Amino acid sequence: MTRQDFLIKWGVYALALLPVWFCEVFLLNRFPLFGVAPMLLPLAAIAVAVLEGTVAGAGFGLGVGILCDAVYFNPDGAMTVGLCLLGVGAGALSQYVVRQNLVGCLLCSLLALACIDGVRILANLLTGAAALPVLLSLAGREIAWSMVFVLPVYALFLWVFRRVPKKTVL
Amino acid sequence: MKDFFRHNGILILIAAILVALITAVVSMLLGGIANPFANLAGIISTPVRNGISAVTNWVEERYSDAFEQEQLKDELEALKQENAELKAKEREYDAALQENERLRNALDLRPKERSFDQLESAMVTARSTSNWESSITLSKGSSMGIEVDDCVVDEYWNLVGVVAEVGENWCTVRTLIDANIEMGGQLVRTGGAAILEGDLALMGEGKLKLSYLPENSQLMSGDLVITSGRGGVYPSGLVAGHVEEVRTDASGMTEYAVIVPETDLDNLQQVLVIKDFNIVE
Repeated sequence: MTRQDFLIKWGVYALALLPVWFCEVFLLNRFPLFGVAPMLLPLAAIAVAVLEGTVAGAGFGLGVGILCDAVYFNPDGAMTVGLCLLGVGAGALSQYVVRQNLVGCLLCSLLALACIDGVRILANLLTGAAALPVLLSLAGREIAWSMVFVLPVYALFLWVFRRVPKKTVL
Repeated sequence: MKDFFRHNGILILIAAILVALITAVVSMLLGGIANPFANLAGIISTPVRNGISAVTNWVEERYSDAFEQEQLKDELEALKQENAELKAKEREYDAALQENERLRNALDLRPKERSFDQLESAMVTARSTSNWESSITLSKGSSMGIEVDDCVVDEYWNLVGVVAEVGENWCTVRTLIDANIEMGGQLVRTGGAAILEGDLALMGEGKLKLSYLPENSQLMSGDLVITSGRGGVYPSGLVAGHVEEVRTDASGMTEYAVIVPETDLDNLQQVLVIKDFNIVE
């Protein structure tokens, strides 16, 4: 793949991220279901990792993580490292354990969201912010509502994946 | 995983760790002032947010015009009746105020003063993206003199929240139901002081709690709670909400009151930031 191909490919992926970001930040948080809004940006990182593998998953996860830390309130850098690692993990799982399809993406997304909310639960337990049942309830609702959006997010990035050069070499 | 180690995967991980460390350290050092990444993202996205906010507000207004006329008529009738009652009360208050002023003069007390000279009007351009906190983003920032810990109120002087992060042309406000909010509260009917604090379990319901209730406090549903202003950081007398019910905490030892905010956090469009205040009680 030439340098130009590389730039076009990731430029298109970045463009595909825009509607996901728009929906999460401006649209879906206005209409919460069961008191929660879905997390879409992590789903985008996981979808690309499942389709493209570990290296691209790590790179895209890094980019999405930086975006999350920039647009989310109270950034601490955790999303940058977290999504990069989850990108590697989802890429590895899709290469060796699950298939590179919607079912694989659903499983990887579920694991990724559970990891993100697991860390949040631990952090809140350590600071004594709330009791475990409250935190589990919030995380459960958030993960369940977010999982509904795996299909459209995966479909969007699959559409992009089928139209860009396949081999990513950094 | 071979590909990962062959093709600079480790370098990406190292870059991620470095970026995260820089973000964490800079955020910690700046203490409420947005870090460079967040500030840049905010500056770039503020015009977009303003535009989207204007469009969604316009759509909501058209929807309201089209489908909520009956409800608006009922509300108008109720408000007319309330207005008549308030006018009658106002006449009583005027007499009481004059009496109060005469007594203050007689006792040579400093006159009461409440001035909020430095107010900044701002548009609400975005809402929380995380379910683990409650915040709103405003269209004004440090360039307009807004600082961390400035109080934010709606057009009826109901407390909305406190500025938590400031960028060049935007700021993020932690709303009063956020789990990290804590400030002095006061019950208007009894005068008892307590602590207004956010609670993760109540945040999803759009409520907060009033804890450390005064002993033998006989709270009633509907009791108004205002900010006490103790500590001098936040002004006193801002309406936070009203008591919905009193509950006992998990230990069964202490009670707290569930407070419903007076402000409508879901439909805020314009707010006022109190940049400076002077209150003499």
